[in-house]
Amino acid sequence: MSLFIIVALPFLGALLPGLFIRAGRQACFVATFTVSALAFIGLMTHLPAVLGGQVATARLDWLPDLGLNLNLFLDPLGFMFAALILGIGLLIIIYARWYLSRDDNMGEFFSYLLLFQGAMVGIVLSDNILMLLVFWELTSLSSFLLIGFWKHLPAGRQGARMALTVTGMGGLAMIGGMLILGQIVGSYDLTVILENRELIQASPLYLPALLLILTGCFTKSAQFPFHFWLPHAMSAPTPVSAYLHSATMVKAGLFLMARMWPVLSGTDVWVTLVCSVGLITMVLGAFIAFFKNDLKALLAFSTVSHLGLICFLLGTGTTFGAMAAVFHILNHASFKAALFMVAGIVDHGVHTRDMRKLGGLRHVMPLTFVLATLAGLSMAGIPLLNGFISKEMMLEEAVHTTLFGSPLLVAVVATIGALFSAAYSFRFISHTFLGAERDDYPAHPHDPKAGLWFSPALLMIPVIALGVAPFMAEPFVRLVTEAVVGGVAELPEEHLALWHGFKPALFMSMIAVVGGLIWLALFSPLSRMWESAPRPEAKDIFDTLIKALANGAGRFSRTLHDGSFTRYAAIFTLAVVAVGTHAWSTGTAGGATRDMLRVTPIAAMLWGMLIAATCFLVFYHRNRLAVLILMGIIGLIVSVSFNYFSAPDLALTQISVEVVTIILLLLALNFLPNRSPKESTPIRRTRDAVIALIGGAAVAGLVWTILMSGFPLASISEYHLANSYKGGGGDNVVNVILVDFRGYDTFGEIIVLGIAALVIYALTEALLNGPVRAKLLNRDFEEARAGDAHPLMMVVLTRVMMPVVLMVGVYIFLRGHNEPGGGFVAGLVVAIAVVMQYMASGFAWAEKRQRYPYHGIIGAGVLCAGLTGIGSWFAGEPFLTSAFGYFRIPPMQEFELATAMGFDLGVFLSVVGAVMLLLESFFRLGRRAGTEDSEYAIDIDPSRTSTAEEG
Amino acid sequence: MISADIQIVLPEIALAVYAITALLAAVYTVKDGAASLLVWLTSGIFVLVAAWLMTNGADAQTAFDGMFVADSFSRFAKVTILLSAAAVLVMSEQYMVARNLLRFEYPLLVVFAVVGMMVMVSAGDLMSLYMGLELQSLSLYVVASLRRDSVKSTEAGLKYFVLGALSSGLLLYGASLTYGFTGTTLFSGIMAGVQDQPSLGLLFGLVFLISGLAFKVSAAPFHMWTPDVYEGSPTPITAFFATAPKVAAMALFARLMFDAFGGITGDWQQIIAFLSVISMFLGSIAAIGQRDIKRLMAYSSIAHMGYALMGLAAGTALGVQAMLIYMAIYVTMNIGTFAFILGMQRDGRPVTDIQSLKMYAKDQPTRALAMLVLMFSLAGVPPMVGFFGKLYVLRAAYDAGLAWLAVAGVVASVIGAYYYLRIVYYMYFGEETEKLDAPSQPILGAFLIASALIMVVGVVNLFGVEPIAAAAAAALVN
Repeated sequence: MSLFIIVALPFLGALLPGLFIRAGRQACFVATFTVSALAFIGLMTHLPAVLGGQVATARLDWLPDLGLNLNLFLDPLGFMFAALILGIGLLIIIYARWYLSRDDNMGEFFSYLLLFQGAMVGIVLSDNILMLLVFWELTSLSSFLLIGFWKHLPAGRQGARMALTVTGMGGLAMIGGMLILGQIVGSYDLTVILENRELIQASPLYLPALLLILTGCFTKSAQFPFHFWLPHAMSAPTPVSAYLHSATMVKAGLFLMARMWPVLSGTDVWVTLVCSVGLITMVLGAFIAFFKNDLKALLAFSTVSHLGLICFLLGTGTTFGAMAAVFHILNHASFKAALFMVAGIVDHGVHTRDMRKLGGLRHVMPLTFVLATLAGLSMAGIPLLNGFISKEMMLEEAVHTTLFGSPLLVAVVATIGALFSAAYSFRFISHTFLGAERDDYPAHPHDPKAGLWFSPALLMIPVIALGVAPFMAEPFVRLVTEAVVGGVAELPEEHLALWHGFKPALFMSMIAVVGGLIWLALFSPLSRMWESAPRPEAKDIFDTLIKALANGAGRFSRTLHDGSFTRYAAIFTLAVVAVGTHAWSTGTAGGATRDMLRVTPIAAMLWGMLIAATCFLVFYHRNRLAVLILMGIIGLIVSVSFNYFSAPDLALTQISVEVVTIILLLLALNFLPNRSPKESTPIRRTRDAVIALIGGAAVAGLVWTILMSGFPLASISEYHLANSYKGGGGDNVVNVILVDFRGYDTFGEIIVLGIAALVIYALTEALLNGPVRAKLLNRDFEEARAGDAHPLMMVVLTRVMMPVVLMVGVYIFLRGHNEPGGGFVAGLVVAIAVVMQYMASGFAWAEKRQRYPYHGIIGAGVLCAGLTGIGSWFAGEPFLTSAFGYFRIPPMQEFELATAMGFDLGVFLSVVGAVMLLLESFFRLGRRAGTEDSEYAIDIDPSRTSTAEEG
Repeated sequence: MISADIQIVLPEIALAVYAITALLAAVYTVKDGAASLLVWLTSGIFVLVAAWLMTNGADAQTAFDGMFVADSFSRFAKVTILLSAAAVLVMSEQYMVARNLLRFEYPLLVVFAVVGMMVMVSAGDLMSLYMGLELQSLSLYVVASLRRDSVKSTEAGLKYFVLGALSSGLLLYGASLTYGFTGTTLFSGIMAGVQDQPSLGLLFGLVFLISGLAFKVSAAPFHMWTPDVYEGSPTPITAFFATAPKVAAMALFARLMFDAFGGITGDWQQIIAFLSVISMFLGSIAAIGQRDIKRLMAYSSIAHMGYALMGLAAGTALGVQAMLIYMAIYVTMNIGTFAFILGMQRDGRPVTDIQSLKMYAKDQPTRALAMLVLMFSLAGVPPMVGFFGKLYVLRAAYDAGLAWLAVAGVVASVIGAYYYLRIVYYMYFGEETEKLDAPSQPILGAFLIASALIMVVGVVNLFGVEPIAAAAAAALVN
């Protein structure tokens, strides 16, 4: 049968139980069994070929770009595992059929089981490490579903969670290791990787790859310090425990270590790490197992211990160790599966697994007793049972292993482990079955139906057969070991046999068995000591650790993201400075190619004033009025500096913009408290100051460097200077850029300006009738208000000034094309003229005399600019192409007319409209309801008059 | 010629014209009455435009003197953007109607954002880059604060806006430095002007551009807005944030790096690798402490952007291909996940506390299973499709000599797996808690199940995305 079918069968078959459960439990069982049996038979058809030394392969490209191919191969190692998985799987299915009660959803259970089986078979047959990873994580997932099958047990939930967390994360770590391995070799095919031992071990990435892969293996096979999840996964239904923890899932880690043995083993790191982890796990697991009262907990820790044993054997890196490991995997699977099933039978019959409530069961459950004793003694390593043979081999190997420079250490530790192992095995048998029959069993115990005892009984055949005649297994074990070793080293001379003569291993074995019996005899005092002794509970440590990490992570994210905007801004600034520093350190500054400009007294003075004003601003930043004044000063200095550097246009624009903004801000200040409240602590302000200084210094440094080194390219101003008059008919380059070269931009800008003004207007409209305005109007003033809202002097003065200022505006507008000025500045100047009227004479007075709505003015501006642009279409030119000409109308001198002027008019109108609309919005908001406004041209505030009269 | 240019940008123009027409029509007629209709209409149009782009398999074309590039790279990104936006719109309709949130501007703002994104991924010039970026960002600022009566929503919008403006400023500064030192804003011109040893000014331009874009993809340490905006915005908006804009920003990132700075890969590789590593770890670690699933998804998105950036950091065609595949998978997973989150409610009120999912599997086994698949996929656990995304970027990084980055990515994914598994754990186990309402919107269920199915069935051949992404990457990196 094709390997594809063998792997696919359980997956496809996983659908069947769910469907067949409607036809009854028996149908469901038969379907599941048939699927598994078919896969098993399919596997067995390969037996002759495997024994003949052939390796069956099946290849299929999946995502070749990624190196991910559905390649399978069947060598003796894979065959052994696949046979274990499928064979024991069949027994478990039979057992589960009778074990599950009517309340359990058997369809769901068998579906998960088959899914798991498929994933396991996939692992052992994969010839592609990425495929292997896929199947690997699938086992985590499906075992999670299986372990948590009894959702009503809180312990089950805990167990499932921990199992998933530990093995799932370990699997992810393994992805990293596998990727590295694949990269070193250049192929993700296992068979190729296995041939590249030297390449891999010479690579500098060998160590990280090894560590990552071993993390995956250790978590999966419950090796110290990840051993704690396995016993807690025991609350699953017994068939699951029997399946997952004897033959399959936990062996996956060992399988992978065996699989990778040719390329990973043999180095010092491997030996030290794997051996010591294995030994620690072996002793620790066995020691704890002895004190566990729950049958399944005892078996669970014993499983941990045996896994440690196999891990140690693989870790020694010798071929004899590998052979012992292979043999023990077989033996352990057989007796441990049986023991779990026996535990389930006891649980089923007596309704408890607590050994303190058990004892004397041999009288009422004789058959179970026989099965348990055989399997238990095998686990203890008693001769004539298969556990003995492999344990002897392990001890033999221990004698020859040197760890941390001490030849005796391993042997002693291994003997202690074997001693504990014998002790808990004896305890399992004696405390459950021996002793007097009790009369307080929770239920009436009895031997189970054939369906339950059939599977463990069948498993006793290899237990006894291999124990008595181990040579029967020898050819097969040798074959598998050969596959493990992968031709890296010669197979050992030793044979599997019952009697090896009086070797150290025999004495160690005897010490272990006798010591185990003594240890058991001391159970009561030891148990009391165990109960009273403070001991670290791995699960609690894990929980505490996870909790601490989670809390730490929570605190971390809460500190980092506390919702405070200033913190975000600080992080942002620092991050930008950091990347800037990176650029600084990697880039090459061209060196200072320019000379410093001479520092004139005026420049120095301006600079000093700028710094002083800025410092004052920072110092007085809570006093808003002072801030505005200081901002005005800074703006003035900036415009003076523009002038100093021969940019009169910019200076003019800057100064008029300054005036308008300050007025706008002053008006806004009307609605705000005049001091900003103190909200931050001194520490925080210091922090912010430091960050601000860092940021400022960084920008200054950058500007300095760039200004000193100069640009590699010619300045674009050359082009504009050359073409301004020729192409745009103006001497003022800035203005020509605005209305001609970049006319399109300007057109867009005036539209945006208009939209912004309209949006503010709309917002104020919404506010006018809302609670905000009411609140504003009814607010209390901290200080007494000025009595005279419209001082007479100011009213008179502004009215006199108005025509003058308007004329200045017209002048600036007209000269704009050739001299500093233009529509934008003119618009601002005219706006200032009008604003003065509003401020001096009051809103109502000014509004009455204002005939055109400001929206209209904005619209007219945009239209005017647009029409000018469209005009060029009639001349067959693209939009906004400008034209100019010279005219002479007597008695005037010759003058220039350019279409750009129409465009500039549009700019002018838009600016006037937008600024005024903004101001109007503010005025409307601040206008107090019920206030009468003065009627006459020049008048003082009528309300004041009335109070005066009354007073 | 102008008509040929317009032919190339026709999809964008069509969408923009549609949005403006619909906006005007709705304002002067039924206003919010047309909202539901507009949502469906818009999604339909998105799907149509996506289909149009898919069938229009012409070679690389440029319009407006290279300012706009239509090639298979931009096509890939656009189709992903359009389809995900359509899905999110459809998913959000009932949710928003039920909460009286659905304004007719919402679908239209999404259209504007999408047009911006399409311009972004097709940008061939710093100008069109910025234009697209701002059109997208401005629309997003508004939708983030769509729920005007909620303090959280408005706060989110405001923070997003201020920080976004800051980052835009930075980006512009970078763009102007780049222009100053290369004399052009055209990507191809920059590419030609950049020598092996770039000047300091240009490097500054480069890092500032990267910083600005890192903000848009919410890569750490420019990610600060993400958790607040994800949590504060209405859930459908969060779903939108988590999908299309991420693809667009990432594609734009790739476009800029390869088209303009492809000659000095070494100079940006390190920075992006740094962003990638910080994002992966910060996202993974910070997500652990979260209780709100939307906030958790925010951190998750930060981590995922780290992985996508890993592909970019590789600086190779394989890296870009990996990034595109990663993004396509990521978006699909997120749509499913948000379909689930949108359906989470108790007594008709939306719930986002993770604890409320306890024992969810008992009542809703199918939906819980779908969510389980999605969570595993997000965690990158094989054999879900999410694993392939991770595998691609890890390999790309490794092949490009960034082994440390790949290993760091694996470690981060191990940390990150914890919080995804925690959700699964709550759903299947956890103690009994007050139940969530039974799902009432079949459309959300459909999206959830479909997304989960894709995550499982997709392992067969990733629905043929691989060669398309490869072609797209080849168009960019040559």
